[in-house]
Amino acid sequence: MYIYDQFDHTITRERVAEFSQQVVRRLIGELSEDQFRPLRLMNGLYLQLHAYMLRVAVPYGTLSSKQLHKLADIAKKYDRDYAHFTTRQNLQYNWIKLEQVPDLLAELASVEMHANQTSGNCIRNVTADQFAGVAGDEVEDPRIISEVIRQWSTFHPEFSFLPRKFKFALTGAAKDRAAIQFHDIGIQIVKNDAGEIGYAIYVGGGMGRTPVVAPLIKPFVARSELLSYLEACLRVYNLHGRRDNMYKARIKILVRDLGPAEYARQVEEMWPMTRAAGVDVPASEVARIEAFFVPPVYEKIAEPVASFVAAKAKSSAFARWVETNVHPHKAAGYGAVTISLKPIGGIPGDASSAQMHAIADLADAYSLGEVRVTHVQNVVLPNVKQTDLFAVWQKLGEIGFADGNIGLVTDIIACPGLDYCSLANARSIPVAQKLSTWFGDLDRQHNIGPLQIKISGCINACGHHHAGHIGILGVDKAGVEFYQITLGGAGDEKASIGQLLGPGFAGEDIVGAVDKVVNTYLDLRQSPAETFIEAYRRVGPTPFKESLYGRR
Amino acid sequence: MAVVDRNGPIADKWERLADDAPVPGGTSVIVSFARLKSEHNSLFSAAGGVGVEIPGDVNLDELEPFLPRLGVVVVRMANMRDGRAFSVGRLLRERYGYGNDMRAVGDFIPDQVLFLLRCGFTSFEVKDNFPIDSLKHSVAAYSVWYQRATDRAAAVAELRQNTPGGGNS
Repeated sequence: MYIYDQFDHTITRERVAEFSQQVVRRLIGELSEDQFRPLRLMNGLYLQLHAYMLRVAVPYGTLSSKQLHKLADIAKKYDRDYAHFTTRQNLQYNWIKLEQVPDLLAELASVEMHANQTSGNCIRNVTADQFAGVAGDEVEDPRIISEVIRQWSTFHPEFSFLPRKFKFALTGAAKDRAAIQFHDIGIQIVKNDAGEIGYAIYVGGGMGRTPVVAPLIKPFVARSELLSYLEACLRVYNLHGRRDNMYKARIKILVRDLGPAEYARQVEEMWPMTRAAGVDVPASEVARIEAFFVPPVYEKIAEPVASFVAAKAKSSAFARWVETNVHPHKAAGYGAVTISLKPIGGIPGDASSAQMHAIADLADAYSLGEVRVTHVQNVVLPNVKQTDLFAVWQKLGEIGFADGNIGLVTDIIACPGLDYCSLANARSIPVAQKLSTWFGDLDRQHNIGPLQIKISGCINACGHHHAGHIGILGVDKAGVEFYQITLGGAGDEKASIGQLLGPGFAGEDIVGAVDKVVNTYLDLRQSPAETFIEAYRRVGPTPFKESLYGRR
Repeated sequence: MAVVDRNGPIADKWERLADDAPVPGGTSVIVSFARLKSEHNSLFSAAGGVGVEIPGDVNLDELEPFLPRLGVVVVRMANMRDGRAFSVGRLLRERYGYGNDMRAVGDFIPDQVLFLLRCGFTSFEVKDNFPIDSLKHSVAAYSVWYQRATDRAAAVAELRQNTPGGGNS
């Protein structure tokens, strides 16, 4: 993974000093809360319902075991002994004291981490495919260009006060595991007819109250010109994005209002200027970064691996876990393990410091010291030998993270909701817990098959409900929490936006309503091989509406 | 009101001229863009110097013909979150080749001045109680940058090339 050099260390250290000074100026009253807000947000510091929340950046979801140990230590020292993995592959602490933030940032800096631009109207932490570098279907490891973008976007003098937040996501594979078309800019790494690697640029996707699947703006940008192209994209947005209404300020609204073709034309017009400004980094710099992502030397292992095959034959529970939680690895004899942070009845994405330490230990023992965070709020050990999978599974059982439910109905995304968030209209976490418990039986989960439930506690859609096969949106109806159901969303390479089914349900009725939706699917599917989303796309919403609301 | 640059308060020769006020001969005046467009001939002949104040959404192509004769362009930020000024500054410098004083005005805070400097601004109109110590601290917050900007400060990528053994020494 990427390792800081003296310049990265200098910038990170100077940032800690700058923010520490800003905190002092806030505490003595030189800065008003209005003036301090954008500064603290650019450092990932939110004022939540009960305390400050600090969001730590995990660039493109990649962590070393050493970093994870440090994050666990911080959870114990500064928080209530746990942390929360987010849908942007970041990590949040929920109970932080403002005056302790400078010390906390210094501790993060000691392991080459920070909270830069994890909030605010700036370019946010870049996300990428959690299987980067280990997936077999990859054109190029997306972490290389993600790191190039991380550096370019860090303290960007022109784009730190954009109309609204700005999110990048990258995939190097044809199978989109990063939901790139739901981002302000999504980048797919592609090869052109000449066999050269380049970047397809999608602009103007997003969730929130106006969900949009991003259109393709430029099919191919060469590596040597990527940053100047992105700078042109951002400049057009910074100049012309709406600033009169925060709900219409995202780039998706600008692209929609101009039309993708006109937006693309304006970017092309701006591009010569950004090219001339010398923002594109030399090939030697990209090569320097690329060297950090050269694949490790894998052992030559012939498949099938006898001990792995035998372990699966001996334990059907293990075999089932492998089926859902182990992703094929490009190196024979290896697998990429997704650790489910969705224990039945638990809080999606939460981990205690003890669990985080244990995962870091597993990474050292079995995964070349590396960990990934997924946008589905799980954690990946990317490089596990198949012969070690049984031991890993058993050790995960000891910390309560051995659930074999990845991609199944209980692998739920939920935003923090009204339990923490000052924006929320309704609670999300208890709904996730109740659904998880209701559908907890593993036989039933396997019978239902792949099904993504995503829950947001308000229209801002941090729980990605628009992209859920079943989406749940919490709303406030005269002071009472209600939950609307959307069906048919998808965040992959066949991105689609879920459609609202009908009137919402009270908190005590939402589990029953989802159960009806699931049973309707089970009744109408053509075979167990037809997944929920395939069946929905075939039949549409009507049968589901009828089961929930009766015939009209 | 005071005018500062990156080092603190500076003397300022410019006076604001209301749209209906007569042009004082020999004085350096800042006028609205509307007045500049309608009265540029008399302004450039009578005043000692001419500057203009523009908002963030100005059409710079309309301003372009006047740029070579302007002594200052003042870009107004509607509030501290109004980030258009950063792009307007870069366009004026890098696309239109504007070379004289470029001034920001509005409710920005010292922490934003460093970015404004990087985007080509040279002076700042601020309230009298603008914290000068914080300004001096803020503009010195960083010794290196990850990206090139209008100031052409060498970016880290270039420094790495010129550092023996890259940056890993």
